[in-house]
Amino acid sequence: MRKLYSIGLIRGLLWQILGTAIGIGILTGIRFLLHLPVWKAESAFVFGALLGALFFVYGIGAVDDWIKVAAGKEIHEADESSWGRLRYFGVSLDHKVIGIQYLVLSLVLMVVGGSFAMLFRSELANTGMQFLTLMEYNTLMSLHGMVMIIGILVGVAAFMNYLVPMMIGARDMAFPRLNAFSFWLAVPASIILLSSMALGGFDTGWTGYPPLSARAPIGIQMFFLGVSLAGMGTILSSLNVITTAIRMRASGMTGFRLPIFVWGSLATSLISLTATQLIGLSFQMVMFQRLFGMGFFDPAKGGNPILFQHLFWFYSHPAVYVFVLPGLGIISELLPVFARKPLYGYKWVAISSFGIALIGFLVWGHHMFASGMAQYLRVPFMYSTLLVAVPTGVKFFSWLGTLWRGKIVFPVPMLFVLAGIVVFLLGGLTGPPNATVATDLQLTDTYFIVGHFHDTMFGGYIFPFFAAIYYWFPKMTGRRLNETLGKIHFWLMAPAFIILSSMMMRTGLLGMRRRIADYDPTLNITNDHRVMTVAGFLIALGILVFIINAFWSRRNGEIATGNIWNSRSPEWQVPSPMPVHNYDKPFEVVGEPYDYGLPDSVYVKFMEEE
Amino acid sequence: MEHPSKSSVLLLGLLVLGALAVLTAVEFAIALTVNIWQVLAVIPIIKAALVFYYYMHIYRLFQAETNVDRESFAYKLATNRIGLWLFLISDSFIFGGLMISRINLLGLTRPDLIQVLGLVVTSVLLISSFFANRTEVSMEYGDRKQFILSISLTISLGILFLIGVLGVEWRLAPFGPETNLAGAIFYIMTGFHAFHVFTGVIFLAIVLRNGLRGLYSAEKHWAVEASVVYWHFVDVVWFFFYPALYLIGTLAK
Repeated sequence: MRKLYSIGLIRGLLWQILGTAIGIGILTGIRFLLHLPVWKAESAFVFGALLGALFFVYGIGAVDDWIKVAAGKEIHEADESSWGRLRYFGVSLDHKVIGIQYLVLSLVLMVVGGSFAMLFRSELANTGMQFLTLMEYNTLMSLHGMVMIIGILVGVAAFMNYLVPMMIGARDMAFPRLNAFSFWLAVPASIILLSSMALGGFDTGWTGYPPLSARAPIGIQMFFLGVSLAGMGTILSSLNVITTAIRMRASGMTGFRLPIFVWGSLATSLISLTATQLIGLSFQMVMFQRLFGMGFFDPAKGGNPILFQHLFWFYSHPAVYVFVLPGLGIISELLPVFARKPLYGYKWVAISSFGIALIGFLVWGHHMFASGMAQYLRVPFMYSTLLVAVPTGVKFFSWLGTLWRGKIVFPVPMLFVLAGIVVFLLGGLTGPPNATVATDLQLTDTYFIVGHFHDTMFGGYIFPFFAAIYYWFPKMTGRRLNETLGKIHFWLMAPAFIILSSMMMRTGLLGMRRRIADYDPTLNITNDHRVMTVAGFLIALGILVFIINAFWSRRNGEIATGNIWNSRSPEWQVPSPMPVHNYDKPFEVVGEPYDYGLPDSVYVKFMEEE
Repeated sequence: MEHPSKSSVLLLGLLVLGALAVLTAVEFAIALTVNIWQVLAVIPIIKAALVFYYYMHIYRLFQAETNVDRESFAYKLATNRIGLWLFLISDSFIFGGLMISRINLLGLTRPDLIQVLGLVVTSVLLISSFFANRTEVSMEYGDRKQFILSISLTISLGILFLIGVLGVEWRLAPFGPETNLAGAIFYIMTGFHAFHVFTGVIFLAIVLRNGLRGLYSAEKHWAVEASVVYWHFVDVVWFFFYPALYLIGTLAK
């Protein structure tokens, strides 16, 4: 029993349960003392969940060191090398451990969110309701969206945490304790988000628009609270990434010698540092509207529901760039390695990440063309949206230029990179019709949007994400993922996905509305839906193959301790798995990062100690 | 780094406080007489700029590095400063969002609040910012007595502000959060701000306790600097919230 309690995660969960119970007790007690009706489920659960999350981070020990500092005691960095595998289940300050923790949490969340999709996808295979009630359908569909988004945010954080310090030659992140804290905030946040299913679910979609969200079941409060807490973690982790990239670079690593992935991470972090506050604020305002009767978005009290959409999309549109910029960075990172050629137009690619991020702040209104916002706002938002295509186009030209006449090899990571480019192109080309007001008014809220969105997410995040896992897995474990299983995973997932998203767009054009549980049989799209359902299950099968591969290869994979991809990046110049403090000897950057195939060109030189 | 003389720093602190007080008085007078919202929107920006430069020392972020040893205190201090300022930038977006909501929902109207009380709590917070500045300065000069006196005064004034807003204004306001839009906006804006004041008071109290035990020195006092900079930031937020809630426009119905 004591041994079980010593495992951080279990301790945290016990404390979370305790905190939730205490929170519900305190709130009920206060209501009793104030002579109000004692039991009000909504405020009790909200307060309980909030306190539960705080108890979790305290119970697991993520704030122990800060409490010690506040109490005026000395703190030491614990020696974690003796902990073995258990350190992945407790608070660790090592950025590599935190990166892998993020990665596992991300995979868990995406498997959960994906299973929700499988459930409602099966429901859609036929007209009429098969095995879900309308409320269950709505809850699964809404949670699929938000669980996937949190999963992607966590996955982005995984690679930023794992790779950024390594690529710039730092020992760790700038603020290791803050790093651990941001990760452990994401765990209770995910639990709270999923607990919404037990509290009646909610039927608003992942956007949570009032006035519908103002009268949804209590589950919506858990959704708001979970997202707010997860957002808090994202903000702190992006603060950490920016500071690390500014302050901890190896000597000689000037701005235009930074790896593209670090440029992408910086641009991403800039967005999540600032804009995330506004989705938190908009959700909290609906929370307060429900709890205290404040009339922000209640037209009966003079409130304005459109205001919510502005606050919400100010984050939620740039958020898609948060998801894709690191992914595009990974594509630019891996392409030169497998094409054995310098990255074409390095400087422009580096700047384009920031271009996308900055333009991304000015485009949120394109989600609201049909919302009833002031009409004169439509045209500026249309043009700013179309402008995003310019820096994105720069990236595409660079990728094509890199591939052009390269000596291309096709191991599994490269397959995923190429699929990422193709799928992201599909997503990119279907974007302008949605950005143009005239066509968007026809397309909005149809499956066309759903197809476009999934194309950008898979092309910009999922495929590069898997490429990165196949590529850096040896760095994490010292073993390689099995190539054959990897190829099976790829050939199951990539074609099935392209069919799925194309069918989504097709049915959208034929009149399929998004977010609905049923459709008219006379639309003649039942067969398309069946194809989509089968394709969805093929993707799931591919992911299953990947998970089996990961578990199997971690123990039995081909041993790969050296520079197996023949990369120039500093992390591959030292043996895998990475040593505890990254680099024993500091290195100096003496050349360009992506000069593959040029003789006598050196990127990093390790300093010999005197 | 060469320090200017102690009395000249005190004089500078007082001058800034005087300028802020005059600007606040001008703000109040304009609100009572002509109520031009453009002026009332510009004055807080000037006040914020003064505090950013003279009290929060924003220029420290851009000072040339004198020590490039990664493990040195000076290098880590500069890293910590960047981290803190990034946090403040992030936090200011939530207050910006609240301001946008207020402008969108209330426009050129304002909640029905007690004007005198508003002026009093604003002055209290302003003076506390001056003493927060004194706290940091006296620590820099190694003046322990001054430090403890100033930080105690800062904390007391902070608590006084909380009593003024939460204890008096919240109780005497003729509306609740559910009554109308003005009420909703008033309670969420003061609530979010009061929460930040509250955390600032706790932060300062921890620094006071550790300061009494002699944990900070003239050379190493990052916690003192961080708590003071955070306190100034909370004050700057109120520079914008005060005219937004008390001064701009006509009474909302």
